[in-house]
Amino acid sequence: MTKFINENIEINELPNFEEVQLNPLQSKYFNVIAINLSLFNFLILILFFVFSYFKEDLFSNRVWMIMGIAISILISFSYPLAKLSFNNKGFAFRTHDAIYKEGLISETTTIIPFNRVQHVALHQGFISRKLGLASIELFTAGGSSSDIEIPGLQLEQAQKIKNLVSQKINPTLDTNETDPTAPVILRI
Amino acid sequence: MNNLTDFSQPQRQSLPGIFVMFANTLQKSVRAFWPILLIWLVKFDSLDKLVFFGIVAGVVILIGIISYLQYHFFTFHIDNKNQEFVIQKGIINKTRITIQLHKIQQVNINQSIIQRLVGVYKLEIDTAGSDKKEASISAISHDLATILKDRLIHHSQLENNDLIITNQEENAPTSLIKIGLSSLIKIGFTSNYVKSFALLFLFFSTIIENLRQLSDSTQINEDQVTNFLDKLPMLTSIAIVIFSIIGLVMAVNLVRTIVKYFNFTIQKSRQAIILTYGLITTKSTLLNPNKVQQLKITQNYFQKQFNVTTIEINQASSNLEKVKEKDKLQIPGCTAGERDAILTLLFGQLPIKEISYLPNWRKLAINTFFLMIVPILIVLFLNRKTEFVTWTDLSIYVSLFIVFSGLLLWFSYKNYRLSVSKDFIIKQNGAWDIENTIVEPNKIQAITTQQFFWQKATNIGSVTLSTAGGNINFTTGNYSEIKTLVNYWLYQLDTTNKNWM
Repeated sequence: MTKFINENIEINELPNFEEVQLNPLQSKYFNVIAINLSLFNFLILILFFVFSYFKEDLFSNRVWMIMGIAISILISFSYPLAKLSFNNKGFAFRTHDAIYKEGLISETTTIIPFNRVQHVALHQGFISRKLGLASIELFTAGGSSSDIEIPGLQLEQAQKIKNLVSQKINPTLDTNETDPTAPVILRI
Repeated sequence: MNNLTDFSQPQRQSLPGIFVMFANTLQKSVRAFWPILLIWLVKFDSLDKLVFFGIVAGVVILIGIISYLQYHFFTFHIDNKNQEFVIQKGIINKTRITIQLHKIQQVNINQSIIQRLVGVYKLEIDTAGSDKKEASISAISHDLATILKDRLIHHSQLENNDLIITNQEENAPTSLIKIGLSSLIKIGFTSNYVKSFALLFLFFSTIIENLRQLSDSTQINEDQVTNFLDKLPMLTSIAIVIFSIIGLVMAVNLVRTIVKYFNFTIQKSRQAIILTYGLITTKSTLLNPNKVQQLKITQNYFQKQFNVTTIEINQASSNLEKVKEKDKLQIPGCTAGERDAILTLLFGQLPIKEISYLPNWRKLAINTFFLMIVPILIVLFLNRKTEFVTWTDLSIYVSLFIVFSGLLLWFSYKNYRLSVSKDFIIKQNGAWDIENTIVEPNKIQAITTQQFFWQKATNIGSVTLSTAGGNINFTTGNYSEIKTLVNYWLYQLDTTNKNWM
């Protein structure tokens, strides 16, 4: 491809985001997923039993049985699926951007350049806190669809990442001279 | 500097804040449980009063405790070392929000009725793009709020002092473009059919509904109308109905366009562009070229013949879920020359389409399947079950539908393309109204590529570019080309010294 040659760069020699080795999430994080999933499955089972016990007339016995089988199949499949989708998640931090990949059926890769990050948040859910895990969320001005949340990080790792990103998006931190690339906000 | 105005230490909100949080949580709970409350109110007499008031008291106490805990765990401070404003909150799920001071664009101090009752204020920090709720302090005294606001704004403006000074010297605004009545009439006749039709439909259905409720006398009127139409030949009556609908839609369109955009003037002052328009109420909007994130040019076949087009400008919005009206501007009825003048004004140059990327033919196939074949199959199936029309009638309708939707699908596939040049990304789409959405690469906030697992074999995928003024996406394209483009855009984003705002 010589399409962008006038800019004096060879487009095929640009760093390729697809070739970046992505880091997997902490394997402990799968416990969090499994617990949440179990809670959800448990709730569905309870609902099913309560309905089939108290509202037996709602469907015929045959339909109840089919529903029971379907639910148990769904529940038993939900764990391997969760594991697969967990294995499929990955993240990477390059010099200039953050990459997060997820999805089993529909695989999405979101890339946010650090100079577009508005702010960083560190979340810790109840179970995650017990396991010493945390998640990092990067916010941009592009709306919630483009924000990325990386779950299943070690707390120290997450804090390190947060400081790293904070430093990247605020270069005035180290040097007192104003950086020419620092955002300039124009006011009317 | 006393301890209160020293923001370097985490501090809580002012004490009456508990009441504000209590009211907010109560309001939220009532909103969430209103169906149950309603049932209770209806059945009030049959309820056990003791149990009822016991539950109410319990809920109120619970909310009280939650509010206190929320108050207790909510702290904010300015981290001078990292130049960040930090909010920590959450009872069970802890959240720590940090906002770079130089990213803060606006600090608003508001007061709601509840806040007025206890004499506190709400401080909202606007950083363009972040959720407003995330960065707000809902109970703070006015003095403290003002000091904090000054502190935050002062920090964020430190480096922009030069700019502000140069902007002081004001030039008298020079008139640039004026859109004439004839252009507005042309646009009024040729756009927004669907919108006006929906408006009209809504209007008439409400009126008819109201009339029916008022009296039964309208029944006679309706009969008179149908009788009148019955006397005419079938085709003539259909033609009358269709033409009166079209005429009404056009009239509504025309009036709407003229009232809204009468005397549309674009003026340029030193730092901003001023748009003034309106017949009854004159609106005046400031437009900062730096804030423009997306620009949409729309034109259909008729408008092309008349040489008019509509331009829509999306500015950076602080709340993307509901893009505010003030951030979306429409310039109706520009001629080609005026359009180019506006584009040059906003971008400094005319956008060019250098290389175009077309979608895979499978896009047409998928759209045809879901939008043409599936609906037809559903109708056929329903008709088999219920026979609501005869099969000969149905075959006429179906073939009409095939021609109509086939044309729409074909043209929307033909027009769908993504054009990329060094300074612009242009996405074209639409079957009748052809839209061209223009984005500058440096306005991209995030890039998302997406691929279904079955698309891997055929090397097809999609890309979404998020900007602060909305997203543009290109689906079912060549995935390797898309990835090359993504690498190129990332390179541009990393090396450009242009900012997105």
